[in-house]
Amino acid sequence: MLLVALLLVPVATAVASFFARRRTAMEVANLVGFGAVFLIAVALAARVLAAGTVSLANGFFYADALSALVILLTASVALVCSTYSIGYLRDDQQSGALGDDASGKEQMAQLRMYYTLTPLFVFSMLFMAVANNLGVMWAAMEITTLVSVFLVTFYGKVTSLEAAWKYAIIGGVGLSMALFGTLVAYYAGRGLTGTEALSGLNWSVLALHADQLDKTSMRLAFVLVLMGYGTKAGLAPMHTWKPDAYSEAPVPSAAILSSALLNCALYCLIRFYILTSRCLGAQYPGRLLLLFGLLSMGVSVPFILIQKNYRRLLAYHTIDHAGIMVTALGIGGALGSLGLMLHMVFHTIAKSLLFLCAGNVSQHFRTDLFSKIKGGVMRAMPLTGVVFLMAMLAIIGMPPFSLFQSEFLIVRAAIVGGHVLTGVLFVLFGTGVFAGAIVHVGGMILGPRGDAPVVARRPWRDGSLLALASALVVIAFWVPAPLLELVREAARVVKGQ
Amino acid sequence: MLMTHVLDLQFGDRIVTLMAALVLVLQIAMVTQRWIVIHIRIFAAQSFFLAMIAATIAWFNHASHLYVAAGLTLVVKVVLVPILFERLVKRMEIHEEIEPIVNGPLSVVIAGGLTLVGYVVAESFYKQDEPGLGHNALAVAISLFLIGFFTMINRRKALTQVLALLSLENGLFLAAISLTYGMPMIVELGIFFDVLVAAMVLGILVYRIRETFESVDVSRLRRLRG
Repeated sequence: MLLVALLLVPVATAVASFFARRRTAMEVANLVGFGAVFLIAVALAARVLAAGTVSLANGFFYADALSALVILLTASVALVCSTYSIGYLRDDQQSGALGDDASGKEQMAQLRMYYTLTPLFVFSMLFMAVANNLGVMWAAMEITTLVSVFLVTFYGKVTSLEAAWKYAIIGGVGLSMALFGTLVAYYAGRGLTGTEALSGLNWSVLALHADQLDKTSMRLAFVLVLMGYGTKAGLAPMHTWKPDAYSEAPVPSAAILSSALLNCALYCLIRFYILTSRCLGAQYPGRLLLLFGLLSMGVSVPFILIQKNYRRLLAYHTIDHAGIMVTALGIGGALGSLGLMLHMVFHTIAKSLLFLCAGNVSQHFRTDLFSKIKGGVMRAMPLTGVVFLMAMLAIIGMPPFSLFQSEFLIVRAAIVGGHVLTGVLFVLFGTGVFAGAIVHVGGMILGPRGDAPVVARRPWRDGSLLALASALVVIAFWVPAPLLELVREAARVVKGQ
Repeated sequence: MLMTHVLDLQFGDRIVTLMAALVLVLQIAMVTQRWIVIHIRIFAAQSFFLAMIAATIAWFNHASHLYVAAGLTLVVKVVLVPILFERLVKRMEIHEEIEPIVNGPLSVVIAGGLTLVGYVVAESFYKQDEPGLGHNALAVAISLFLIGFFTMINRRKALTQVLALLSLENGLFLAAISLTYGMPMIVELGIFFDVLVAAMVLGILVYRIRETFESVDVSRLRRLRG
C-alpha cells in the first residue's frame, strides 16, 4: 500500500499541476504533494525498520533499509526545494527571467512546465528506489534523465541548451552502458533455480544466488555498470556534464540533481556492488571503485582552486563528494559502509542547502561570478550569508559539522582496512578542496557591502533555508535514534548481510 | 524439404548470422555516410533486419515474447523514429553534408578494428557445450556498440550523434536477444518506451539548437568551460 501511494502521489501532483490554471494552484499542488510524499517516506522507513523488508506484487516492488534511506532523503529534498521554489520562481517571474511577454502566457507555460516536471522527476527517482527488477531500475533512471533535460533548458538560454545537450548525450551513452551491464548480469544469472521469466532480473533473487552467478560475465557487467551509473553520479572522467547542468538549471532543480539524483545513481551502483562482491569477492569491485573515486576527488581539486563561478564551484564539490562516497564503497567493510551511508545523509542536507543559498545570491546579485560580487554578501543578505558560510564549512569537512565525522570515519576505514595510500590521497585532496572553498567563498561572503541593496525577509525561502540549516546543525551533535538505526541497517545491506 | 529447414536449428543459426552480417555492414555504411537523409534510412534498414533477427530467434527457440520485441522494433525504430527525424530534417532545412572528423577510409579501418575487438570480447561468452543461436550475433552486437560509440565521437552534427546513439542501442538490443533471448517482457516494454521518448527529447533539443545557433554543428557549443 505504502509503496503504491509513494508512486501515485507524485504522479497525481504532476497531473494536478498540469491542469491547474493559476500559479497559486500549482504551488499548492506541489507543496501538498511533496508534503504527502515526505510523510509516506517516513512511514515507509518506520515499516522497514520494524519489518526488515517490504515487498509488493510478487516482489516487483521491493524496499529494504537502503531503499528506504534513499527514498527518505529524496522526499526530504523534494519537500524543501518545492517550498523554496515558490519564492524563487515568483522572483523570477517579477524580474523577467521567464521572458517579458506582457500577457503572461509564456510565463505561465514555463511555470507549468516546472511544476509538472519536478513531481515527475521525483517520481522517477522514487520508482527507481523501489524497483526490484534491475531492468526496471534502469528504465526509471533513464526517465530521470529525460525529465530533467527540460529542467536544464528551463531558461531557454544559449548556454542552457548547450548544457542540456551535453547532459542528454553523455547521460544517454552512459545509461546505454549501464543497460548493457544489466543485460550481462541477467545472462550471468540465467539457468539458476528460481530465475525464470520476470524474476530473473530481480535483485533480491540474484542477491540470494549471487555465489552461483557466472563469474566472467559478472566481471564485465560490473565494469559496464560502473561506467554507466558512474556517468550519472558524475565520476571522473565522465563528469563534464555536471558543472554545466548544475549552473544552468533553476536552482531548486540543481539542488535536487546534485543531492537526490546523486544518491540514486550511487544506489544503483551499490546494488550491483553487492551482487558483484558476493559473486567475486569484495576485492575486484573495490579496486575499480577506489580508482574512480580517487580520480574524481583528484580531478575536482584543481577546478575548485581556479573556479570563477560559484555555482560551478558547487558542482565540482558534488563531483568531489561523489568520489568520496564511491571511495567509501570501495573500501567497504562495516566501517566503510557506515561511513558511506552517514556521508550520504549529511551530504544531501549540506549540498541542497548550499545550492539554495547560491540561488538567493545569484538572484540578488544577478551574476554567478565571484569577480562581480566582490564581497559583502553577509552584509547585503544576512541570513543567506551566514547560512552559506556555515554550509560551506560543513561541506569541506570542518568540525564540528557532521561531514567531518563521516569523512573521518571513511579515512579510518581506509587505514584500518590496509588502504594506506587511499587514506593519504583522501586527506590530501580534502585539503585542496578545503583551501579552494575557503578562499573563494570566504572572499565572496565576508567583506564590506558594495552597492547591492539589503534584502527584505522572504518567508518561503528563509523558511526552507532555516529548516535545512537547523537540520545541519542538529545532526552534527545528535542524530535521531530511528534515523541512525536506518543508516545502520542500510550499511548492513551494503556490507551484504 | 522446406519443413525440415524450418525446424532445423542449424539453418536458423545461418539465417541469424546472415542478417547479423547485414546489420554490421549497414553500421559501417553509417560511419562513412555523408548525407543525413540516407543516414536515417540506413538506420531504418538496420532496425528492420534487427526485427527480423528477433523474429527468427523467436521462431526457432519458441520464445514467443520475442515476437512482441520484433513488432515493437518495427513500429518504433523502423517507422516512427525515421519519420520523426526526416520531418525534423525537412523542417530545419539541413542540406549540408556531414563532415566527419576522421576521414572516410580511415573511419572504415577503425570500424573494422572495432569489429575485431567485438569478436574477441564475444569469445569469452561462448561455451562449447551450450547449443543455441547467435554466437556471431553477440560479436556483431558488441561491434555495433563500439562502432556506434566511435561514430558519436567522429561526428559534429547533432542529429548524426543522436542516430549514432540509437544505432548503439540497436547493438544492445541485438546483444539482449542473442545472449538471453530477450529480457523479461515488462523490461523490454520499458526500454522501448524509453528509446522512443529519448529520440523525441533529443529531436526537440536538436531543433532548439538549430533555432538558436542557426546550425546543428555541436562543435559550436563551447561556451561552458572550466
